[in-house]
Amino acid sequence: MNMPTDDKNFRLLGGNSPGWRDRLSRFPTSLLILLGMLILGGFVVLYSAVGGGENIDYVWRQAARAAFGLTLLLTISMAGSEKIYRRYAYLFYGLSLLLLIGVFLSGTIGMGARRWLEIGVLNLQPSELMKVALVLALARYFHDRSVSSGISIADLFIPLLMIALPTILIVKQPDLGTSILLSAVGMAVIVAAGLEWKIFIAVITLLGASMPMGWNMMHDYQRRRILTLFSPEKDPLGAGYHIIQSKIAIGSGGIFGKGFMAGSQSQLNFLPERHTDFIFSVLAEEWGFVGGLLLLITYCMIILRTLIIASTASDRFGLLSVVGLTALFAFQVLVNMGMVIGLLPVVGIPLPMISYGGSSMLTLMMAMGLIAHVSIHSKQHGRTI
Amino acid sequence: MYSLENEHESFKVDTRRRLIVLGGLFAGGAMLIGGQLFHLQVMNGGEYRNLAEDNRISLQPIPALRGRILDRHGRILVENSPDFQLAVIPELTGDIKALLKRMQPYLALPPDKIEKVLRQVQRQRGFLPLMVQSRLTWAQVNQIESRIHTFPGASIQVQTTRSYPNGDTAAHLLGYLGEVNEKDILQFPSINFRSGDIVGKTGMERMFELELRGKEGFREMEVNAVGRHIRELKRQPARPGPDLRLTIDVELQAEAERALMGLSGSTVCLDPNNGEVLAMVSQPSYDPNQFIRGFSSDEWKLLVTDPKRPLINKAIQGQYPPGSTFKMTVALAALREGKISPYTRHYCSGSVTRDNHTFYCWKNGGHGQLDLVAALEQSCDVFFYKVSEALGIDALARQAKNLGFGETTGIGLEGERPGLMPSRAWKKATYGHSWYPGETLITAIGQGAVLATPLQLASMIAAIANGGRIYRPTFVPTPKDQSPTPIHTTSIQASHLDLVRKGLIAVLHGKMGTARQYKPEKVMAAGKTGTSQVVKHKREKSGKLIKEENSRFKDHALFVAYAPVENPRLALSVVVEHGGHGASAAAPVAKRIFDFYFDKYGIPES
Repeated sequence: MNMPTDDKNFRLLGGNSPGWRDRLSRFPTSLLILLGMLILGGFVVLYSAVGGGENIDYVWRQAARAAFGLTLLLTISMAGSEKIYRRYAYLFYGLSLLLLIGVFLSGTIGMGARRWLEIGVLNLQPSELMKVALVLALARYFHDRSVSSGISIADLFIPLLMIALPTILIVKQPDLGTSILLSAVGMAVIVAAGLEWKIFIAVITLLGASMPMGWNMMHDYQRRRILTLFSPEKDPLGAGYHIIQSKIAIGSGGIFGKGFMAGSQSQLNFLPERHTDFIFSVLAEEWGFVGGLLLLITYCMIILRTLIIASTASDRFGLLSVVGLTALFAFQVLVNMGMVIGLLPVVGIPLPMISYGGSSMLTLMMAMGLIAHVSIHSKQHGRTI
Repeated sequence: MYSLENEHESFKVDTRRRLIVLGGLFAGGAMLIGGQLFHLQVMNGGEYRNLAEDNRISLQPIPALRGRILDRHGRILVENSPDFQLAVIPELTGDIKALLKRMQPYLALPPDKIEKVLRQVQRQRGFLPLMVQSRLTWAQVNQIESRIHTFPGASIQVQTTRSYPNGDTAAHLLGYLGEVNEKDILQFPSINFRSGDIVGKTGMERMFELELRGKEGFREMEVNAVGRHIRELKRQPARPGPDLRLTIDVELQAEAERALMGLSGSTVCLDPNNGEVLAMVSQPSYDPNQFIRGFSSDEWKLLVTDPKRPLINKAIQGQYPPGSTFKMTVALAALREGKISPYTRHYCSGSVTRDNHTFYCWKNGGHGQLDLVAALEQSCDVFFYKVSEALGIDALARQAKNLGFGETTGIGLEGERPGLMPSRAWKKATYGHSWYPGETLITAIGQGAVLATPLQLASMIAAIANGGRIYRPTFVPTPKDQSPTPIHTTSIQASHLDLVRKGLIAVLHGKMGTARQYKPEKVMAAGKTGTSQVVKHKREKSGKLIKEENSRFKDHALFVAYAPVENPRLALSVVVEHGGHGASAAAPVAKRIFDFYFDKYGIPES
């Protein structure tokens, strides 16, 4: 069928889901390959970051998570009904919000902050679920209220409330990084949904103006991290230590790096949190500018690929959820790298798919699964059938 | 319901633009990151690489063993001995308080020391050893070592410490060590001191600091972020300081110290043929080991406030009026200026009066007629008063300087004093007065302003013994293949020297010699006694001295001598502070030294 697009055809396909063989054949393999490269490369860096041989358990555990995550990705992407995620978006959001409130009321203490909710043996981090839930809920909201003439302030009340509720709960945990991430992702969805440009600019200006107020509301340690960014050498053994040592590690890697397992900063414990938040320093020290750039390019290609998926989405829900989930991924890349190379303050945001740890990886696998799901049901495929 | 088609089309066009904006924002961020990576890794990679190396590598000094100090025959004066210390590694000991308690029967630590250790544990990293007690006795080492497996984390460490096996023998000469201070850093700009370094403070330890300290080595250690050693990358072994052989004869030194034991004073023994210092004594002394062990505040106070000043090396820092030992200088000056001849005789009536001022001879009633030899033998003051009148102070000062008065000998020890030789110019410059003729008279008998150190006196008598050559006194043996070169020759005529020597021999061997009771047993010696006034003596109307009872005001006793008369081997000076007469207090010291020396080494063939 090589007829030009007609909405009849489009509607027809939107209504009826293709069979699982079709769905599998439409799976965005290139996205999976890029993610696979990222994850496998991540194992190599992680192996070095934990000191190799005797700590190889870390790599096995990470591999188990990756395997679980990929299963999750495939399962989510292969879901039969095209509309299933749209249908349950609000429910998912509502449940996540309840869990967040649960953490707020009775959360256990972990890492000096209340982020975890113990449900049986599973340590659930509701803020991770909320990242995905918020994107889906906003996408659903704007899908239901398609407007051709841009989104005005009046249309923003409910979406902003949807963003604000979880953000405030997470700020109280306290987890500044995640709450900023959540607001940024929400903003990305609103912009993609058609926020009037002048409002967009006004919001940016307002955010800039409200920074002093935010400063007053911050905890001392959060302020210190920001101050440290601008003059790490003032407190080389205290707050500035992370940034200084990370910059030394990265800079000393030079163009080609010191080689696998040969980074003195990484191997001799000068780098803090080197298998979690600061894993990029290990990569940059041992694989140099070339390795760092390669990683950055891989991320760019993934994001480019997901944005293409967004542009071919069959409906607004698909488009907006892909944009939001891409923003979730992209924002974490920028913030983590920016912090490790000394451009942004130290906030606890892991490097997507590479940092050791389960929560972040599972969330992003879920996100990628949803993106793949949109891709499978995109109109591009619809046309070719 | 609006048209889905229209909605979709407009949604598509605007959305594409919006996606590009969002993608562009990300691309901008990615470019910032790429730019910063380029800045860090490509532009400044070298600088960060250095920083990473600094992080990684820690230089650990390996102390160099300090050279030993030996006497001229190779006997040990200063060495390094093991110091057994108890060290603990807190991370291995478990409860350190309990461990110390269990070790207490063998250590007997005072409570404040235990507290200090416990405080230090809080302060340093657990894997670093912590010194609990140094200078363990052999018994303690044995007791602890045999139970060491019951004291986890504890170990006996061996350090070296400076030790002086002869105790206080030659203490001033050898000097002591101490922690480096500002002054030391300025003194030795070529040494790269670290704070807490040990450095020679006085004596040989300081004079030969550059040689003795050797060169410290280092280990390049790879360390991790908390400073724990991972492995050794490189090792540069320390180069120990070479042994230092001195000209000192430790047996002679010890004998000379015994001869002055209980007194306050000094003696310097030189080889007159090359200026080598055979012995240099300053009494009372102290035990330099004490500087290593540390003083209690009471001990230190006692040492510092002792009026006999045990910390001063009197041989180079004590300045005394030379008294009659100065008379040979006057004689040589007068002979050179032609003011006297071997036949010149003067009459001594016991005093001379000039300008209404009476100058007394030490002998009431006077010596009668005497020539130069007899005047030296009997140390007649009036003879030299009269000679000096003819000579004048400036001619005398010239000869005195020629013999080394008024200037440091350049021996190289820190703190050497120059003494003082007055002259008209000096008087004018210092007091603004012109010189009084009477001052020449009292200078002629070594009183008044003239001052000399025991070392200067020894150097002077050595020059008279060796035919008029001034050698720089030295502690370093002259190499066998080199002949010693004098720093200058006094160019005193041999006939003048012979005449003076005749007088000096008579001092010990003449019938009337002032030191005739103290001539050496086996050898002929030449010498001169001296008694220098500490305060102006009170006299009765008849001119008779009133004896001063207070020992603080007693005269200093001096004696300079050399032996044998032919081929002199040993020249010495003796000063006994407040000892009374040179003949009775200082000459016996010299006799004892001569007797010991020639008994031991025999009398050389002439």
